[in-house]
Amino acid sequence: MGNTGHGETFLFWVGSIISILGALGLIFSKKIVHAALCLCTVMLCLAFFYMAQGAVFLGVVQIVVYTGAVMMLFLFVLMLIGIESQDSLVETIRGQRWLAVPFVLAFGFVLIGVYAHANLPEFVGTDAANAKGGGNVQSLALLLFSRYFWAFEVSSAVLITSATGAMVLTHRERTVPRKSQREISIERFERWGKGEKVSLTGLPNPGVYAQHNAVDTPALLPDGSPSEASVNATLRGRDTVRGFRPLPLPGARRNGAAVASRGDAGNEEVSQ
Amino acid sequence: MSILAASSTTATFVAPHVEFGKLSPMLIAFGTATLGILVEAFAPRKQRYGIQVGLALVGIAASFAAVLALAGTTASVVAQGSVAVDGTTLFLQGTILVISFVAFLVIAERKTDQNQDAFAAQGASVPGSAAERETTRRGWQTTEVYPLLMFSVGGMLLFPAANDLLTMFVALEALSLPLYLVCGLARHRRLLSQEAALKYFLLGAFSSAFFLYGAAMLYGYAGSVNLAVIAQHVAHPTAGSTLLYTGVALLGMGLLFKVGAAPFHMWTPDVYQGAPTPVTGFMAAATKIAAFGALVRVLDVGLGVNSAENVWRPVMQAVAIITMIVGGVLALTQRDIKRMLAYSAILNAGYLLIGVTSTTAQARAAVLFYLPVYGVAIIGAFAVVTLVRDAGGEATDLSRWAGLGRRAPIPAALLAVFLLAFAGIPFTSIFIGKFAIFQAALAAGSPDLVIVAVLASALAAFFYLRVVVVMFFSDPLPQGPTIAHPSIAVKTALAVAAFATVALGVAPSLLLHLANNSAGILAK
Amino acid sequence: MNPDNYLYLSAILFTLGALGVLIRRNAIVVFMCIELMLNAANLAFVTFSRMHGALDGQVIAFFTMVVAAAEVVVGLAIIISVFRTRRSASVDDANLLKY
Repeated sequence: MGNTGHGETFLFWVGSIISILGALGLIFSKKIVHAALCLCTVMLCLAFFYMAQGAVFLGVVQIVVYTGAVMMLFLFVLMLIGIESQDSLVETIRGQRWLAVPFVLAFGFVLIGVYAHANLPEFVGTDAANAKGGGNVQSLALLLFSRYFWAFEVSSAVLITSATGAMVLTHRERTVPRKSQREISIERFERWGKGEKVSLTGLPNPGVYAQHNAVDTPALLPDGSPSEASVNATLRGRDTVRGFRPLPLPGARRNGAAVASRGDAGNEEVSQ
Repeated sequence: MSILAASSTTATFVAPHVEFGKLSPMLIAFGTATLGILVEAFAPRKQRYGIQVGLALVGIAASFAAVLALAGTTASVVAQGSVAVDGTTLFLQGTILVISFVAFLVIAERKTDQNQDAFAAQGASVPGSAAERETTRRGWQTTEVYPLLMFSVGGMLLFPAANDLLTMFVALEALSLPLYLVCGLARHRRLLSQEAALKYFLLGAFSSAFFLYGAAMLYGYAGSVNLAVIAQHVAHPTAGSTLLYTGVALLGMGLLFKVGAAPFHMWTPDVYQGAPTPVTGFMAAATKIAAFGALVRVLDVGLGVNSAENVWRPVMQAVAIITMIVGGVLALTQRDIKRMLAYSAILNAGYLLIGVTSTTAQARAAVLFYLPVYGVAIIGAFAVVTLVRDAGGEATDLSRWAGLGRRAPIPAALLAVFLLAFAGIPFTSIFIGKFAIFQAALAAGSPDLVIVAVLASALAAFFYLRVVVVMFFSDPLPQGPTIAHPSIAVKTALAVAAFATVALGVAPSLLLHLANNSAGILAK
Repeated sequence: MNPDNYLYLSAILFTLGALGVLIRRNAIVVFMCIELMLNAANLAFVTFSRMHGALDGQVIAFFTMVVAAAEVVVGLAIIISVFRTRRSASVDDANLLKY
């Protein structure tokens, strides 16, 4: 088992280049979502490497747990707290940021040098070990539930801790009961009765009479102008409201005078 | 893996033998924590506080009883080689449990702060919001803190007993994750507390990544993460030793982080300052004991061969010297009592590292003696800090403490006892501890370390005494902080801590004897 | 190809992760870089498992994944709580921070 087959060699070189590029992307990309996607790529490459090295179960777990659950959790939290949150939440490491670069690079060269001079023994390969239990999964199970049963037990404590901790830090119990639709409606009419500017019918849906019905597409009013109120305030705040293009009138030339006459908003982004 | 080798085609599964008796201290701790989670789910909100505190204290006491029952049994490796139950393990487990009991008495305190404990009424509500005011008014409490901390205690019991690197890693996470969470739950100054939690978490996760990569290299070196197997490979090398030493260095980074040794100490002052003060006391004492236990086990069982000792000892000596210098010098510049105690904790980690670098049985006994006496004193010191209060929580700025000795003689005198012990005044427990460590280091032939340690102690005496002088010999502020009247539980905790600090200074022989008896035995 | 190339790859990924932790300032990115480091350690475990012809390394990598998943949950919960407080950070909180 000294050398790998051609297939694995090819997989390794392609995969390693992709994963290193992914890791660089994670470090240097400006947008956090791009960084997260880069990390997903690295994790997928690693999953293929695990499978190629006889760790089939681990490869699947890598995809399911890491790319599937962990990275989705990251993306979910990103959406929750806003993708544009570029502000620094860490103030641990001040100043010495760029001083760290030569140190870390030196550290990396040391690690590589260590492997180069480690006099590693020949690779045995996992085929025999996998065959012992009658397959990779069975062999792993034999180890997991006998030799490593105590770590298995204790990891359950870790999992309970994390579930409880997430609830403690993020779950808010209501102190007052949620208002029913009826109560909200009564309240709205009372405010209207006092002369406040309230929309009694509720706000218009996005996308009405427009080309798309996505949430970022404003509804069109009868005169063809977009309705600000139809788009969620968060999207308006982020300037991500889609521009709209009114449908051409029958018989009019495309992109012609008919469109231009409909107003200045024509092809412009609504938000600009 | 004799089970697997039994047949050539498919191995049959043989259920592992579980030594419930030997594992009972940890099983009780984890079991209590799990019960606590169930209490959260089913008990009505009003009764939770009482049930949780009672459950936690009973659990700790039961676990301690289990440790006592195991005392004197033969050292053995249990749970399929994952856990070593021997004299050192039992001594450290007993110490951690005693310390936790005292710490829980302080953590559960509600009398000092208008019938509220030190934790946010609801962790998820935004500080200063209407929801927060409403939950506080209703007297809600984050009682999940108690089961979480019990999980942490369970991890701490396992950490110094772990006989392979995987178990050690899982124990490290089991003890750390609850602490990260609880750090961010302070009732007052919550933003500071949450940033402390974030900082602790990120740096802790960073260091555990190094720990894990070190474990991977050692696995590559020895083909197993079991410390005994690694020791065999160290004695009879089959692969190049570069892998071994790099692996140990990375592993050591993870452990030294938990210990709070320089240059991995950055988190300590910020986290100690931001965390709820009773939890800070618990962390400063119990985490350090568990981490030193794990460090000693890795070095003694995994690398206890002469050829390896000659490599790691100089490195650890350098770390000890840097730690003492950093702790001693930076403590001088602190204006905040919690930060000062944090640097003092770093300094004490330096003393303990001296004991670790000398590999004699005498030095091991000295480390075992130092850990409980230091732990009790630092819990006492932080407990006094919880009593000195301003409108917005504890008054931790040193200038606010002026003249405290005249206005509140008893708390000030108690703090003075702990600080004088830290300063190494004779007839205190820590004096005996330092003396034992220095003596062992001299006997092991490293006088240079002792010289640095004595100089650092002299420096430290200055800043400890400065606090005492501020408290007793300066005029009280006109609008100084108020001194809370604690409940009987905190009074008990303070009395126990002060009594132990003085009594073990006057009559240390019992604990020294116990430490001597426990130190030599390591199951391999 | 010699399979120990996987080890070099894991060393490179670990280093890049450490670099990211030290140069990035955003908590979530720093956290993702730590995940990259854990993944690099897992790759080393799996490769060493192949080298020794025993599955222990794979079991350890499996445990690492479990523990890392729990760590992610805790870390993201802390990040969310800091973010919620920060977003509403007002003069009141500035007072709290004053020392």
